[in-house]
Amino acid sequence: MKTNIAPIDFRANSQHVPPEMVSGVQAATTRFLGSRARVVAELATWEELRQAGSEIRRHTLDHLDHYLVMLESKVRALGGQVHWARDAAEANEIFLQIAREHKVKTIVKSKSMASEEIHLNRAMEEEGIRAVETDLGEYIIQVAGTGPSHIIAPALHLTKEGIADLFREKLGVDTPPDPTRLTQIAHDRLREEFLAAEMGVSGANFLVAETGTVVLVTNEGNGRMCTTQPPVHVVIAGIDKVVPDWESLTVFVKLLARSATGQKISTYTSFITGASANASENGPREFHLVLLDNGRTRTLRDPETHETLKCIRCGACLNICPVYNHVGGHAYGTTYSGPIGAILSPQLLGTRIAADLPFASTLCGACADICPVKIPIPEILLHLRHRIAEGDEIEESVTSGFVRGAMTISTWAMRMPWLWWLGSRVLGIIQAPFRRDEWLPNLPPPLSRWTISRPFPAFKPEFRDWWAKRDRTKRKELQTNKKDDGAKSLE
Amino acid sequence: MSSRDTIIGDIQKSLGRNDASPVLPNPPIVPPRIPGSREQEIAKLFEEISALKGNGRRIAPNQVGEALTGLVHAQSIRKAVLWNTERLAQLGVPNKLRELGIEVIPRDSDKPVLAEADLGVTEADFLLAETGTIGLLSSPDKPRSVSLLPRIHLAIVHPNAFRADLHQVFAEANSKDYLILITGPSRTSDIELVVTIGVHGPQVLYVWMVED
Repeated sequence: MKTNIAPIDFRANSQHVPPEMVSGVQAATTRFLGSRARVVAELATWEELRQAGSEIRRHTLDHLDHYLVMLESKVRALGGQVHWARDAAEANEIFLQIAREHKVKTIVKSKSMASEEIHLNRAMEEEGIRAVETDLGEYIIQVAGTGPSHIIAPALHLTKEGIADLFREKLGVDTPPDPTRLTQIAHDRLREEFLAAEMGVSGANFLVAETGTVVLVTNEGNGRMCTTQPPVHVVIAGIDKVVPDWESLTVFVKLLARSATGQKISTYTSFITGASANASENGPREFHLVLLDNGRTRTLRDPETHETLKCIRCGACLNICPVYNHVGGHAYGTTYSGPIGAILSPQLLGTRIAADLPFASTLCGACADICPVKIPIPEILLHLRHRIAEGDEIEESVTSGFVRGAMTISTWAMRMPWLWWLGSRVLGIIQAPFRRDEWLPNLPPPLSRWTISRPFPAFKPEFRDWWAKRDRTKRKELQTNKKDDGAKSLE
Repeated sequence: MSSRDTIIGDIQKSLGRNDASPVLPNPPIVPPRIPGSREQEIAKLFEEISALKGNGRRIAPNQVGEALTGLVHAQSIRKAVLWNTERLAQLGVPNKLRELGIEVIPRDSDKPVLAEADLGVTEADFLLAETGTIGLLSSPDKPRSVSLLPRIHLAIVHPNAFRADLHQVFAEANSKDYLILITGPSRTSDIELVVTIGVHGPQVLYVWMVED
């Protein structure tokens, strides 16, 4: 677990969200949700697909060791190499070893969240290797030097005029702010990179254990370029990307594109099994698979939260989340944002760093309804909140000592009526100088942080006396009535 | 202990056991699609392709030459690269292109040379009507770059390639080392959500259904 990373301050991050980010994000999510609704309505078997998807993912996680070992043996049998990385540092070291062996100067990368998780680009650049993003949105934000605002469409917060200015400044090329022309520039620049790079890096949308196959779901053709043009192809994927066999894959190919962008299927769905057998097939000569743990086995340990690993990274939960739609992806301060980020990041990074994220939710539950593999996100959020507040077998509590102390004292007071009575007397005395009728309008620091904007309701110890008196009166009345009733019945 | 053993060990500990347990059969799968008649499948295929800004049409075998002439002029083709298959030879595609003065680049040329091709001609091993998808396997005679590098991709297909659903395609393709499912020309909407056709993959897709 990383201890040298600063805790994510969601509230602070969300104060600095520029308005164009929010409008860009909302335009995208509205579009994706609309398209998704259309293609889901056309498919009579959608709910059955979701159920099948959920069950297959559960089954896979329950036997993850078995399927990973099967995957490894299949990839090896075809001449591919399988590497296991416990964390980001190990993964980057593996990449560097492969790069050094092949004297790699440039890497072309297809979009991969796992590679962002390990900060691969930075690790490569520190060694003097250029890592070029080739997905158009990722390329644009790489040129801009910023992070992605959405899992699926990372450059949504930028306008076409902004991108034209960016290309003029950073690429030295002048073009009108027209998406077709801007795309053409990226096409020309990146084509040179595809053809010259010594190594291509991709993620994997799915890893098929049955045959050792890597499945890539893309639209632009950059994924195909990265995995066919350079002589060395390296795949980095989380160990949770495994599916048992091709038959199960039919379910996920039908669920993914529809949930993500509202397409029936993405433009290019590639199924790559090992290096190509022959050079004239125009495929890579060497194939590597890097399997990344980086907190996933720890996530698996807790039966209440391990369904987090069912995620197929579609982004539908982001699209429907009211919180995400108000702040965009940057506010979450880490690779995975939105509802999935709120449950995955605290488990991968540890609650010490990501304690804010499970609280960045209204618990509306829209994410659970839209999730194609039925991850119970609100339940997991609640469980993580409990972990943060009180701690459990996986991690200690990360609430401040002050809050924990206050909670403990409240628990005693609620269990011991005499302590409550004593506390209420003491509080009645202490608050007296500050009390104005029913309110405490000005309290000393640190409580002044509340009373700066509104008064605090006064604690009312006199309530107990009033209740006791009322109780006595009522009891007397009941006794009197009983005597009267008794007298009546004797008549 | 190696990273591999640590990870596998951690997984087993997390799942509460200390070695691999027997794997139960897979959960039930959703019932697959029932295909329509051949005519319905062809119509659906073209409907989907056209919705994605691809160009689908039916051509009689003896009209392929004429269609190629039209395509070459409409798209200003100067160089082409082709799959080496019996059917493409039978339909006279390589010869016709040469006749039209097109330079036919050898399949196994270096990548920068291949990238100069304007047109890539393939067949399709599979057709999926529901989504307008063409499926291509690969081999030395059917290299991957032909459907990727040139700016125009022409797929000459036969109705025998139709499969009802992904299940059937996967049952045949799962023993192969490469399968690509292509659905429309390359696209993106990364810039302000404006759909731009033609990014890194082909900008234009032609699907010609040529029946015997």
